[in-house]
Amino acid sequence: MAAACQLGPGQRAVVSQLPLCYISSMKVRAIQFSPTLGNSEKNLQSHISHVSRAVRDGCELIVFPELSLSGYHLKDLACDIALKQGGREWRELEKLSKKIDIIVGAPLEEDAGIIYNAALYFAKGKWRHTHRKVQLPNYGMFEERMIFKPGDDFRTFKIGTMTAGILICREILFPMLAYLYFIQKTDLLIGISNSPQRGIGKDGVSSFQLWETMGYVFSQFYHQNYVFVNRVGFEDGIGFGGGSFFARAGQGICRKAKYVEEDMLDAVILPADVRRARLASNYLRDEQPQLVLKELQRILHA
Amino acid sequence: MLKIKCELVEKILVSAIRDSIHKNGFKNAIVGVSGGLDSAVVLALCQKALGARHTFALLLPYRASAPESLEHGKAVCAKYKVPFEVIDISAAVDAYFDRFPADTPLQIGNKCARERMSVLYDFSVRKKALVAGTSNKSELLVGYSTQFGDSAAAFLPIGDLYKTQVFELASHLGIPEAIIAKKPSADLWPGQTDEGEIGIAYKDLDIILHLMIDRRWDEGEIIEHGYALPLIRRIKKMIVNSQFKRTMPPVIKLHPRTVGIDFRYLRDWNK
Repeated sequence: MAAACQLGPGQRAVVSQLPLCYISSMKVRAIQFSPTLGNSEKNLQSHISHVSRAVRDGCELIVFPELSLSGYHLKDLACDIALKQGGREWRELEKLSKKIDIIVGAPLEEDAGIIYNAALYFAKGKWRHTHRKVQLPNYGMFEERMIFKPGDDFRTFKIGTMTAGILICREILFPMLAYLYFIQKTDLLIGISNSPQRGIGKDGVSSFQLWETMGYVFSQFYHQNYVFVNRVGFEDGIGFGGGSFFARAGQGICRKAKYVEEDMLDAVILPADVRRARLASNYLRDEQPQLVLKELQRILHA
Repeated sequence: MLKIKCELVEKILVSAIRDSIHKNGFKNAIVGVSGGLDSAVVLALCQKALGARHTFALLLPYRASAPESLEHGKAVCAKYKVPFEVIDISAAVDAYFDRFPADTPLQIGNKCARERMSVLYDFSVRKKALVAGTSNKSELLVGYSTQFGDSAAAFLPIGDLYKTQVFELASHLGIPEAIIAKKPSADLWPGQTDEGEIGIAYKDLDIILHLMIDRRWDEGEIIEHGYALPLIRRIKKMIVNSQFKRTMPPVIKLHPRTVGIDFRYLRDWNK
């Protein structure tokens, strides 16, 4: 297991000068594991076990990968195992969240027969936030549009004092979607993924580079603390590559889990890093969303 | 163009083999070892994934097989300390053709491939093992295999590696040099070589396949890369004509949900 990111003594001194909302920190654990396809009960037990251990280790937030409760290639399984608000699994997750904040991925049936690929945040014994995946890949080995209804928004929510946002897998590869969180002043961006490893060459697997490139962009240019959690394991020969990582605001990737194998990654998130990054090169201050909006309208309505 | 990072490929394939065996409730893999490159690589990967104690090899020569094939098969088993058994399939194959004489060597070759499959699957029960297939991407794409013969397996560990990449991985894994150095052959009849039968060297076939399949280049782009149109077209025809070997047989749809069409579940359902 990788160790938590450490701060230098100089950084601590700066933190102590900040307003209260910037002093807090949060110990986050990313779980890089292999769910069993279509066995939500077994997967829930895995979640319970990881949560217990994270609580013992003093973590405050635990993040599981995309579709962590179900597995990825759901095809006709989705309707049989979709999570339902108020159902037994839902209540179990709420109960688990009394001691630690939890983000899980699940097929979510909000209305009868309508299923979303969702990320759910539970804290202090209650459900707090749902992000419904907007960018559903539907090409090559992917067929998410056959299963899920796309979501339609990117809303932030609070994790402790931090403003957070969630992206699910392919959404991470659309920089404009992370931008939407950037202009909502997120301190913590969470990307959860089921990325199949593909594109082998002499330098390794090209799909690994996709996620790390975006992590660098979010950290350096959107000044967000970014936790990327990818699953591992195989489904009918399709392997999921892992390589979860933590990118500190303004500093790039500072911790990375193993590729291919199960692993855990701990990181201490400091909102103060966001402030430091903004002061160093204030892209947020200089960003002109109104101009972007005006130009988008001009382009779209031309 | 086709170079691979062998350490990572090994890690992925070893992990995948372990996953395939264990999630299906098995501990063991069985490999038909021909004395050639592909089965040597698969044997090595299974041994690394499961250990020699959980890997078993069957050497299944026919009377027309090259004698060196058996020696090379034994050498690779010895190298990886994998237990093996030699079962000569000549009597079983010849008993059939004594009654129904073959018109072509291909018939004998296909019968041998299916006889080996039959023995492998019987031993998979005896050894409580899953059959690890040895097909590579080049032969899967051009259909250079016997349907329900060498293409039959529980999983295909090197099925997404072109033959030239299997060579690279073999060197990385330390497969005996004599196996790497010899001309690839299905060894179905004396003097047979893959490249002679397919009609093109693997180094060219693999590049054309990679450009056509993985990179989706069109004919014009592949011609600019230095290959002749008739060759490109011939390879394309081999791919199209062998599609039946890569899919399950069509089921005639009558009900709302039909196996193979819209009854959609992975093999790894609940695994």
